[in-house]
Amino acid sequence: MTDLMIEARDVVKAFGDVKALDGVSIAVPRGTVLGLLGHNGAGKTTLVNVLTTLLPPDSGTARVGGFDVVGQAHDVRSRIGLTGQFAAVDEQLSGTDNLVLIARLLGASPREARQRAAELLELFDLADAAKRPSRTYSGGMRRRLDLAAGLVGRPDVIFLDEPTTGLDPSSRLSMWEIVEKLVSDGTTVLLTTQYLDEADRLADSITVLSEGRVVASGTSSELKAQVGQRSVTVTLASATDLPKAVESLVRAGLHPVLDVEHNTLTAPVTASRELAVVVRALDEVGLEATELALGEPTLDDVYLTLAANKAA
Amino acid sequence: MTSTLAPAPTAATPTAWRGSGFATQVLVLTQRSLRAVVSDPRMVVFSVLQPLIMLTLFSQIFSSIANTPGFPQGVAYIDFLMPAILVNTAMQSALQAGVGLVTDMKNGVLARFRSLPIRLSSVLIARSLSDLVRNAMQLLVMIAFAVTIFGFSPAGGFFGVLGALALSLVVGWGLGWVFLAIAAWLRNAELMQTVGFLAIFPLMFASSAYVPISGLPGWLQAIANVNPLTHAVDAARGLALAQPVTGAVAAIVTSLVIAAVGGAFAVKGFRKPL
Repeated sequence: MTDLMIEARDVVKAFGDVKALDGVSIAVPRGTVLGLLGHNGAGKTTLVNVLTTLLPPDSGTARVGGFDVVGQAHDVRSRIGLTGQFAAVDEQLSGTDNLVLIARLLGASPREARQRAAELLELFDLADAAKRPSRTYSGGMRRRLDLAAGLVGRPDVIFLDEPTTGLDPSSRLSMWEIVEKLVSDGTTVLLTTQYLDEADRLADSITVLSEGRVVASGTSSELKAQVGQRSVTVTLASATDLPKAVESLVRAGLHPVLDVEHNTLTAPVTASRELAVVVRALDEVGLEATELALGEPTLDDVYLTLAANKAA
Repeated sequence: MTSTLAPAPTAATPTAWRGSGFATQVLVLTQRSLRAVVSDPRMVVFSVLQPLIMLTLFSQIFSSIANTPGFPQGVAYIDFLMPAILVNTAMQSALQAGVGLVTDMKNGVLARFRSLPIRLSSVLIARSLSDLVRNAMQLLVMIAFAVTIFGFSPAGGFFGVLGALALSLVVGWGLGWVFLAIAAWLRNAELMQTVGFLAIFPLMFASSAYVPISGLPGWLQAIANVNPLTHAVDAARGLALAQPVTGAVAAIVTSLVIAAVGGAFAVKGFRKPL
């Protein structure tokens, strides 16, 4: 028996005429992170809702922690944690009361529940705000409380539906660190995101969804190999310098592409240290870049490349 | 961050929680809804404001009705009016139960409850119980006002008023399940408010609530006589005024039947995915 904590096979879910999921299959081994990448409306949240027993699939099967999401919903629910796109905390209740409520519903005694709540609030840096109604929390705090609520029962599998959408960069970073900590403790995570860098940082493998279908899957590096790597864009002061620059970069082993209109040339690079190669190559022919930029492939690049591959 | 966030199935880990019993679920969820009321008492104040205004206006404007033929002899208008106000307030509160459920459904808290290993009916029962408590608080505030400011002092005395209060609560609780059912199917707070207003407002006036039925035009009398609200108001009034009570048992039985049917529909509707 393989130790798959999440397994979906040919899951179909339609809303009226719209097929939100059109035969999706995924498999997530224990202790790993699957990044589910896709734009709004790609079907990410619908898949999370099916896997967390909130929506029954029209056809296909899904198992979480070895339990069927339809036939053994109760078993699934007692082993998962869910953090949604919209922080599902009770705004009237304090941070403590929110977590105590969940713990009590899960079967903890009042004392155990208070203990667990205090533990999580401390961990998520919310101890100072523990007694305040959660409606007074900032967006980042609310999201952390929501994540804490999903972790009360020490779940085996955690579903994070766009956990950092709408968060400022520092809250985003702290959310990432929390997720990394969870994974190092052996939790299995399914993370949906619109950001390639987020999936890149957190996920062991990435599945790209588009219009309810899996259009690509693999590790981050496999996906990037498909998409094309990062690239360096060099802007020069004068267009007349461009041929000389191209020549020098080719000599250095790069494959630059010219954009005469903007006086720029772009070359794919495999590592950021190749930035130095570019600078040196330009220096050798006595040129200086007015601007030097390292570009990361985005979700759009993934989609564009996948679409291009399909057309080819 | 030193301690563990997540499961480490070692001897040190506490036993996994796999879901609480039904009674605990209901208790914990009821406490949750009530805590919202306690933490924000403005909600109770605002919810008695409307019935208080009605009480004030009606007791002043319609007080001369007490001198018209057909009005029970020797009864002050406030004593006649107050039981009807109690029933009306309980009905408004029933509507609020539905609105509260829709609000929960919208803000994502229910999505979390659905992902927990609990029975969904406990969420509805908790909602209903907490609204019963909230309603009791409202009605007590109303009675305190009526006694101290408007001289409400019906012939039935303390126990008569207590009976009218209890009957109003049962009627409101039963009707609350109808609104919970509507909420579970409609899932729209504005629509709920409109439907509720359209249902309650005409029913209140086409009944024995504010004037004796004999004072109504003939066509309205016909409606009022079959209006279930007339029977609820008459029963509450009978208890408060220490008159022979005709319909108290019928009103309670009817309310329980309504609660059972409404409850069945509410649970069925509530089970539908969000």
